[in-house]
Amino acid sequence: MPQVKAQWRSLEELAQDSQFLLRVEQEFPGLAAALAAPRDRRQALSLMAAALALAGAGLGGCDGAPEGHLIPAVRPPPGIVPGMPDYYSSAHVEGGYAEGTVVKHFMGRPIKVEGNPFQPASLGATSPMAQAELLNFYDPSRSWGVTRAKLPRSRSALEQALAEQRARLASTRGAGFVILTGASTSPTLAAQLDALRKTYPQIGWLHWEPIGRENVRKGVLLAYGARLEMKPQIQNADVILAIDSDLLSAAPGHLFFAREFAARRNPTRAKMNRLYAIEAAPSLTGAVADERFIAGPREIHRVLQALASALLGAPPAEAPPWLGGIVSDLKSNRGRSFIHLGPDHPPEAHALVFAMNEALGGRGAVYALVDDPAHVSSDDALSLAALVADMRAGRVSSLLIIDSNPAYAAPGVLDFAEALAQLEFSLCLSPTPNETTEASLWAVPMIHPWEGWSDARAFDGTASVMQPQALPLYKGVEPHELVGLLLRPDPPKSLDLVRQTWKDKLGAADAWTDALAKGVIPNSASSVSNRALSNAAARVQLPEPPKAGVVLLFRPDPYLVDGRYADNAWLQELPRPLTRISWGNPLQISPRRASEMSLESGDVVRIAIDGLHMTTPIVVAPGQSDDCVVALLGFGRRHAGPVGQNVGVDFFKLTGRSCGAPDIQKTGAKEELASAQHRATMSDGWGVYARNGTIAQFLNDPNFARRNEEPQPTFYEWKPEGPAAWGMSIDLNACIGCGACVVACQAENNIPVVGKAEVLREREMHWLRIDRYYEGPPESPKTNFQPVLCMHCEEAPCETVCPVGATMHDAEGLNVMVYNRCIGTRFCSNNCPYKVRRFNYFDFAGEERRAIESRNPEVTVRARGVMEKCTFCLQRIAAARIVADRDGEKASAVTTACEAACPTRAFTFGDLAAKASEVAARRAGPLSYTLLADQNTKPRVTYEARVFNVDEAKEPQQ
Amino acid sequence: MGSVFRPAANFWASLTLLMLALAAVAFSLVVWLWPQSDYARRVNSAPAQPVPFSHQHHVSGLGIDCRYCHASVEVSSNAGMPPTYACMTCHSQIWTDAALLEPARNSLQDDRPLVWRRVTDVPDYVYFDHSIHIAKGVGCSNCHGDVASMALTYKAMSLTMQFCLDCHRNPGPRLRPKDKIYDTSWTRDATTPAPELLLAEYGVPQRNLTDCSICHR
Repeated sequence: MPQVKAQWRSLEELAQDSQFLLRVEQEFPGLAAALAAPRDRRQALSLMAAALALAGAGLGGCDGAPEGHLIPAVRPPPGIVPGMPDYYSSAHVEGGYAEGTVVKHFMGRPIKVEGNPFQPASLGATSPMAQAELLNFYDPSRSWGVTRAKLPRSRSALEQALAEQRARLASTRGAGFVILTGASTSPTLAAQLDALRKTYPQIGWLHWEPIGRENVRKGVLLAYGARLEMKPQIQNADVILAIDSDLLSAAPGHLFFAREFAARRNPTRAKMNRLYAIEAAPSLTGAVADERFIAGPREIHRVLQALASALLGAPPAEAPPWLGGIVSDLKSNRGRSFIHLGPDHPPEAHALVFAMNEALGGRGAVYALVDDPAHVSSDDALSLAALVADMRAGRVSSLLIIDSNPAYAAPGVLDFAEALAQLEFSLCLSPTPNETTEASLWAVPMIHPWEGWSDARAFDGTASVMQPQALPLYKGVEPHELVGLLLRPDPPKSLDLVRQTWKDKLGAADAWTDALAKGVIPNSASSVSNRALSNAAARVQLPEPPKAGVVLLFRPDPYLVDGRYADNAWLQELPRPLTRISWGNPLQISPRRASEMSLESGDVVRIAIDGLHMTTPIVVAPGQSDDCVVALLGFGRRHAGPVGQNVGVDFFKLTGRSCGAPDIQKTGAKEELASAQHRATMSDGWGVYARNGTIAQFLNDPNFARRNEEPQPTFYEWKPEGPAAWGMSIDLNACIGCGACVVACQAENNIPVVGKAEVLREREMHWLRIDRYYEGPPESPKTNFQPVLCMHCEEAPCETVCPVGATMHDAEGLNVMVYNRCIGTRFCSNNCPYKVRRFNYFDFAGEERRAIESRNPEVTVRARGVMEKCTFCLQRIAAARIVADRDGEKASAVTTACEAACPTRAFTFGDLAAKASEVAARRAGPLSYTLLADQNTKPRVTYEARVFNVDEAKEPQQ
Repeated sequence: MGSVFRPAANFWASLTLLMLALAAVAFSLVVWLWPQSDYARRVNSAPAQPVPFSHQHHVSGLGIDCRYCHASVEVSSNAGMPPTYACMTCHSQIWTDAALLEPARNSLQDDRPLVWRRVTDVPDYVYFDHSIHIAKGVGCSNCHGDVASMALTYKAMSLTMQFCLDCHRNPGPRLRPKDKIYDTSWTRDATTPAPELLLAEYGVPQRNLTDCSICHR
């Protein structure tokens, strides 16, 4: 019987649940279930036939008959060298804000997204969504034709209809016509809309986001009377208080914030900052906080009042006992501390927090206020609710919807689709068919952002020109073109519009090409505002908190956001950082509430609010407040592509209603959750894999995390003797669990998705996984993330058991897979203590609905029956060593895909033999430790243990 | 009742067993050896091409360098095939109405690429890089044969993994001086520097060239 562990992966493990233990001890988990599936004679025969065919296919490599063709271009395309990649800058725009990207092309085809080091919202890193943009671009279910009332129409019929609208607009001066778009920072679109208003003074437009930052904007207006945006400068902050904050996960600029935050997390390299988190629902910010406090919505209201009392001299308020320590820490670090509040809180709370931050004196040092780069709606009073009311009342008769999906994501109470159906003219421009194209009169395919010219700004105002990466794959219309068609029948090209917008800054041809090459427009950042806080801000009254005992909180799904990426298989299959669940959005309930209702993860409940009800599975979320249940939005799309349709539950239906207590009843039904939580159950005697300690422990003994590090004697002594010794160091102080590395690895290495059914059978293919370990009581655990990939052991247990030599070591220390030798015994996977090997149970790659052009041509696409695993991005190493050997230069630094994508620089890859390399330095650091050191595998991957910057004199240990 | 089998049945039974054993051996040999045979690997076969291009005429006869058409061979993994435009640099001036060149003219006129059939190929899981081989003194003819003498281009070498490994295990004797790389009729003679000298000059091998990861990813 294994002993109770200090770190636990799931509540079942913590409880030493008998089924869980059985599963861990099984050699082949899930084998019994697989064997129990009914199989008949016919199926047995077809399996035998398949085995024979595969045996034959194994010889395919020996058949040297060249069947292929060579198709050179008629005229050589400029700048393309066959076999060499090209890079073009672009930007990934989400919620209007740009994240700079660089798209890697092969023979003119985009194959990979990298971050743009020059762009402040990226700094070379990417979000998972920016990585996954590649699949959106090649999505075979994109719209490709104009329809009217769901019947195909020609492009000229559309132009005719728009000509009629032009005539109407001219006669009504724009009255009754509204353009609905998502939030936008595009100066070109803004100029177009302003030009529209000049011609049609009464035309309206609404920038609407389903999960927007309206509360923050209104809060700034309350506090400063101007449209500003807070830009934290975290590298200067010693103490940060994050309240229900999305600072590191979703706030515009979160990659930048994460980079600066992580730069001061490792005590061997910098003076640590300290992050306090107070939150109702577990978040990434809370997971990486030094101290996390759980407070339900009502308690957070009290916390804000108490903070106002302590910092702004408001009347005293009752506060939780732990707040005193935070307040004194904030105050004693005056000028080096700030508070960040999440976007769910009302504008008044934001105004109050702005006032508190002024009182803490950090303005100019730890945060700045800059002009908000977002474009505003035509009328401040215009909101989606007002628009729907106008549509119902006939005051709006024509609606143009550009790349927005209100029929799905508008609050259910508005019933947008029904209001849309009453309009005389409605047109939805969308790259994929969705609920709104379904409900509109006209549905027009939109280009993918990689197919046209546009521009966008980052959170700090830095602008980027977005250039086309390819000719349109499907016949799409550009948003700029559609807006232009409202003015004249032959609108200017989007390239001319963008050049016109930037003619002052980028008038010279060199300036224009430089801006395209670099991906940013120089000196375009918003100016820092000196505006003073209004006197009223400190005395703003908070609205009453919800009275209900248990509140239903809505949060965007971390990867599907508001459902816009529901068709993206990479994002669907990416395990959510905390629940580790993919392909679904079970309702999150706190452990105590769940046990009160005798619920466990996977139980289906009926949730009713305001008379509306729906059924949903639940998941028990350790560390969640008992006063809330959390619903992730973005799932349950009713009209999407084949990937995203009807996956999960659509909680948008319940949004927009008064916050009464949801009524939750157990139904007795069960639903299996595709959770990667039980997978890859590593074990050693100690049971602490993501090692951590406090700053006091570190100061007392910097080597506190090391254990059994001395190599033991081995039978298979062998020293790689190549010119390089590749290795990696992963800093657990920096990892925030965001998942960008996993998607980057998937894109770089042609890793297939397998779908929910196969995830349930534990057959997901991710080469890199992020393990999440809890520590402490389930009601309030510490959360630790640990990326685990192939350790490239010098004494690799997988190699000694392979009967066909399919997994070998090379001279530079890489543990390599030779796919064509692999006969699929899976012995290697069984013998791998880290459980990082993945087996192609089916032809997963072949079954993917994915254009062959979208794959990385530098990496083999694996067939059925073959084992695979992390190669340390061998293709990148190979490219670097060929250049070094060929041109006689020193090998340039190799950056793996995960390392490049990581916003916090948790990964460091390089040559351990080069003593000056960063990876060698990190490996030699005191926090460095080996995972499962007792296995004596001598891994080339090591970890740096996490240090919590807690003041133990003040806070008793849990 | 008489015996069921006549005495001759013993002979037939033994013969059948022997034949079965022989057939099993023969079958294994065929399965093992057939794919390695020059015939199965189509060595010496010249596939029909849209234009019967003659390297003999263009290279030996006219003295056009390999790199005029295979332009990226020194910088990229891929040697590159000439765009139709490259053909027409000359053929818009000479042989302008040759019937043989009609596909090339049509290609330029209709903007439709010429579709050549592959003569040499390695499997997709082999990542061969032309530029590093050229840089390290491996000539075109080491793998492609004496292309300059081919009226129709054919596959000259088996290009099996054994073929690759023969050289990767012992590259010295197959290297040549830098100025002979594109000379496809070159052979080692008395004036050629010794293999050890060539290895030193090119700095080969800097790596363990028989590592799986050198060619496979």
